[in-house]
Amino acid sequence: MTLLHHNRRHSTRIRTATEDNFSPETRSHLSEKGLERNRFDGFDYFTCLMTIVLIGLGVLTIYSATYNPEATSWLTGYCRRQLIWVGSALVIGTIIFLFHYNILYQIAYPLYGLGIILLLAVEVAGSTHMGATRWLAIGSFSIQPSEFAKLTVILALARFLSNRRLPPPYNLKELITPAIIIALPAALILKQPDLGTAMLIILISGVIIFIAGITRGTIITLGLGALSAAAVGWQFLHDYQRQRILTFMNPEIDPLGSGYHIAQSKIAIGAGKLFGKGFLKGTQNSLHFLPEQHTDFIFAAYAEQWGFLGVLILLAIYFLFLLRALNIAMEARDSFGSYLATGIAAIFFWQVTINIGMVSGLMPVVGIPLPLFSYGGTSMLTSIALISILLNIHYRRKG
Amino acid sequence: MTNINNSKKTKREQIVNNGRIIMIIMTVIIASITLRLWYLQIVKGEYYSQKSQDNRIRNRRIRALRGIITDRYGKILADNSLGLNLQIIPENIDKDNIKELAGLIAELTEELEADTIVELYSKSSAYTRHRPLTLKKNLTADELARIEARKYELPGVIIETEPLREYPYDKICSHIIGYLGFINDRELQLEAYQSYARDDLVGRTGIEARYQSDLRGRDGLRQVVVNARGRELETFTVEPTVSGNNLQLTIDIDLQKFAFDLMGEQVGSLVAIDPENGEILALVSTPSFSNNLFSTRIRKEDWQRINNDPLHPLQNRPIQGCYPPGSTIKPLIAAVALTDQLINPETKFFCNGSLTLGRTRFRCWNRYGHGETALLKSITQSCDVYYYNLATRVSIDRLAAFGSEFGIGRKSGIELPGEKSGLMPSSSWKLKNVHDQWYTGDSLSVCIGQGYLTTTPLQIAAMYMVFANHGTYFPPHLIKNNDIKGVKVDINDKNMEVIRKALWQVVNTRRGTARKSRLTTEQWEMAGKTGTAQVVKQQLETLKKVADTPWRFRDHAWFAAFAPFTSPKIAIAVLIEHGGHGGSTAAPIARQAVEFYLNKLESLKK
Repeated sequence: MTLLHHNRRHSTRIRTATEDNFSPETRSHLSEKGLERNRFDGFDYFTCLMTIVLIGLGVLTIYSATYNPEATSWLTGYCRRQLIWVGSALVIGTIIFLFHYNILYQIAYPLYGLGIILLLAVEVAGSTHMGATRWLAIGSFSIQPSEFAKLTVILALARFLSNRRLPPPYNLKELITPAIIIALPAALILKQPDLGTAMLIILISGVIIFIAGITRGTIITLGLGALSAAAVGWQFLHDYQRQRILTFMNPEIDPLGSGYHIAQSKIAIGAGKLFGKGFLKGTQNSLHFLPEQHTDFIFAAYAEQWGFLGVLILLAIYFLFLLRALNIAMEARDSFGSYLATGIAAIFFWQVTINIGMVSGLMPVVGIPLPLFSYGGTSMLTSIALISILLNIHYRRKG
Repeated sequence: MTNINNSKKTKREQIVNNGRIIMIIMTVIIASITLRLWYLQIVKGEYYSQKSQDNRIRNRRIRALRGIITDRYGKILADNSLGLNLQIIPENIDKDNIKELAGLIAELTEELEADTIVELYSKSSAYTRHRPLTLKKNLTADELARIEARKYELPGVIIETEPLREYPYDKICSHIIGYLGFINDRELQLEAYQSYARDDLVGRTGIEARYQSDLRGRDGLRQVVVNARGRELETFTVEPTVSGNNLQLTIDIDLQKFAFDLMGEQVGSLVAIDPENGEILALVSTPSFSNNLFSTRIRKEDWQRINNDPLHPLQNRPIQGCYPPGSTIKPLIAAVALTDQLINPETKFFCNGSLTLGRTRFRCWNRYGHGETALLKSITQSCDVYYYNLATRVSIDRLAAFGSEFGIGRKSGIELPGEKSGLMPSSSWKLKNVHDQWYTGDSLSVCIGQGYLTTTPLQIAAMYMVFANHGTYFPPHLIKNNDIKGVKVDINDKNMEVIRKALWQVVNTRRGTARKSRLTTEQWEMAGKTGTAQVVKQQLETLKKVADTPWRFRDHAWFAAFAPFTSPKIAIAVLIEHGGHGGSTAAPIARQAVEFYLNKLESLKK
């Protein structure tokens, strides 16, 4: 009962704050109706199923990528730890699902502020790992504020846009505030330096702003602006970042250096051919040619074993998942939910695109994992939390 | 109002409208990625498939150097030398050739059989074919020469250099240093050994085991480009090795060696401690074994010889041997009686050669008796009856608590695996383990160092360290550590002086049981106590001379001491298993070791 009470209180607040196409009467009527709806009626089993399939395939691939023929039990090492993370992520996901997502609306700005503070703290007191300062130690565990910032930017943006009385499409001048919301954390992350995550934040925000609506002129101006920014930005890149981009353009310059990763993962993928080499039979993988074969390069290990057919299946699942997420965005009960769902869809879309693009040699190497698939606790936790929010928005949708 | 109403509609419409556009863009991007993968896997599939077969870059591990272990003066106790290993890489050897090749290898080397090589080869799976298999470690110069000479008939055979553990002092301190052994299959499954690989050596006992993770260092990685025949063309170091940390021990290896030689063929222990801080100067266990035998895979016959030896050379007697302490415990009993004011130094008991309790007669070692005996005499002449009398007055639980302050009955925490605590019995211990109450008769045995009471030689040495430094217990340790803190034991200075004086008399007066072992120079004086621990109960009638008793029934001989008396630099305990009387076998060894050490300190000062 407390929970339901909660819902009603927040919906009142939203009504005054946003300008949705529902009159107050309809809304209260809807939330009453929502209460009467069967408890499991609005639950999105389809998204759930795809999530589980993706995680399952991921664990199988982690198993094969870290396969040790001398081990007797398969449930050791990376595989087991990944499953433990999945388990704890599911618990957190369930908890998130229980609360109305309007709470996120309430705390969007405070969270955004916290995100900025954490990024500043990294500047001051972060620990440096491989030349980049990304981690912040809190007590005995360390967090990566840039991961957190990704989510808070979406929340702040969604709240700001849903709050706005000005009708879209927006022009350049009307986008100044959103631009600041995006640029502040992006600049701090770029300074760490973590070009990948900074770009990711800009790309994700771009999708949200796009769905909210911008004028055609703005799109053209922004496109030209991005090109010139890239030219100027090159001057400010770190050597290793430039090196990565250069070797990406021509991996043969240095086959054992930074081009090695791309060259080897291309061989792994290509050698899979149509049907793949079969489970546990990927030699590229087993011979340890693949760098970080269970984290960022896990797709190559998958493609080597399952071939183009396996790749088609995997991409199809991601594709359906993304369409579903956008559908949820279109059906959300309010614009905040729509923008939020769009942001989540965008996170998954860009990560999948950039990761697979990277391992297949379409894009330079940046450290972005394949969501729900790669080995790693932070990534798994964020992914499942995001899906839980998505299900939440769907469950409390209109009609 | 209408305007706002309009915009509301627009906002929702924008979302639906632009959402569709996003869907289309996403579809296009994902389709182009699919196209890319189709290109890689279908169009260029054959090309990459060939490339993957030609992929001839191999990752090889470079072993890190293990940390070096030194004694207190920096003399090296555990070192690394270069060993040459004979390896084969299965993927570079044809199935049809292996028999012939194995035969040739067996011919060129010693102790290798063709069948075992073929078996090893056939065991390697598709997953392990690219990894080198070690056939033999530490090749001899002859073997190396023979193999090099016929290198061209040996495709897929490589010689790999690898650090080899070496112990310059071999048997002399193998119980302290320990030895290495290959990691086994069970350990490889454990979380703690995740960063290890087959073929890795890990410390099995001693310091090598206790400080395994410190000594180990981190292996490096080398990438090797090989041609189709397995010849290595180019090498790149990808990750350099990180050597393990060096360790400095408190051991004085000169003293250790001298003491080890003194022990000779005798079975037993010698422990020497610096009374000023608890640093262990020597920890000798005999018989010993050669830990160098373990540095490569130990040969079966060597292992069996060591393992089946009835004298158990692998046992680290100073910390694992639990013996009745015999009379060496008496100063402790006297100390607790003085502290609790059950007696004063002048309190006398009459010894007529035995004491009768109930129906049992408890004998003194001197069957004619010591007559009127006070504290000093009781220690000097080691009168048993005096301590029987104390036993009837001191509660066993009080004794257990008091002894614990001196380290009796508990582990010292020395940095070696497998330390035993000995046994300081108490009434609750007896109830629990013997299911019987504590009798005064039990106390009588304990107070002359027999009965349930057992101690390790290290504990006895530590106890005499406390007497040496006027009452501070330092946990005995092997690794230099300035943070070691001493704990004052519960005994006042006056009583401590009485005990120390008695120990002085044992060595330096005419009637003392260790009078023959007084130091040869006038410069220093030693104080100590002999002990003779019964192995089997002897009846008075069957009491025979030591020489007539079979070796394994002879008493253990103890001597514990410290020197110089005024400002002690060394506390020592010597135990000779079945050595007979402490005064005649153990004390001379202790005396010589003490003199050696004091002379060394003297010469270092100059």
